Amino acid sequence: MKALLLRFEPIIWLLFGAGIMVGTLLLPGYLMTVTLGAPLGLLPEGALSFARAHMIFSSPLGRLVLLAIIALPLWKGAHHTRALAVDMLGHHSDALIGSLLYAIAAIGSVLGILAVLAI
Amino acid sequence: MARPSDPQAMTPRKPGSTRTAPPQVPDDFWTQPRMRTYLLFDATGIVYLLVGLVALRVAWALAGGAPVWDALLRSFASPGYVIFHVLALISAIFVGVRFFRLFPKAQPAQIGPVKPPPPAVLHAVLYAAWGGITLVLLAVFGGIWP
Repeated sequence: MKALLLRFEPIIWLLFGAGIMVGTLLLPGYLMTVTLGAPLGLLPEGALSFARAHMIFSSPLGRLVLLAIIALPLWKGAHHTRALAVDMLGHHSDALIGSLLYAIAAIGSVLGILAVLAI
Repeated sequence: MARPSDPQAMTPRKPGSTRTAPPQVPDDFWTQPRMRTYLLFDATGIVYLLVGLVALRVAWALAGGAPVWDALLRSFASPGYVIFHVLALISAIFVGVRFFRLFPKAQPAQIGPVKPPPPAVLHAVLYAAWGGITLVLLAVFGGIWP
């Protein structure tokens, strides 16, 4: 298992790096509007009504942005959570925890692609 | 004949007469200020992982139609979700500030004939991009533009 993780290390690091950079660039704007502003009624009326949100996120750029917001934080999260587990629990369970976390990120990314295509 | 390198290649066949203690991590390692900040940076991974999964729910809600979307926004107004998303916002800002501070130090000294710009210029570009993208998203998702 450890050997497999090492083999995929370059891809994992690419997605992790993209997760830190792109994920962080996109998250504040997304969190302040979609997950906080709209539900709490802080945005203008109809700003994120279904019709408008659907129009935004069904465009090619909107789908790409939403996929980045889904997939890249998953990879950043998986890699950093693995590092935290190594620091706190040691190396003996790294292969199991790392594989589990990357599996969550990979499955989540595939589901994210299917979800943005279904919009 | 070339062969894979062996990390134990320089280990003597018999242990030497001088005994060395195996490396140990002190029990209180996480209390050191630099380590605490580092662990906090790692711990944002848990928040990011959950943000990605919740964003997956956002996408499925958009695919599910208006009633599912409205139900999702109503659930996001619950105290648990609000606290989580405020924590996620703080985490994203913390990660951004720390990552952008480290970014110039992680650049190679030279790429071919080109040297990377000075750290101050890199910082300015990164923060301008961060601020610009955030403003665009606020305008688009906030109903101001287009």
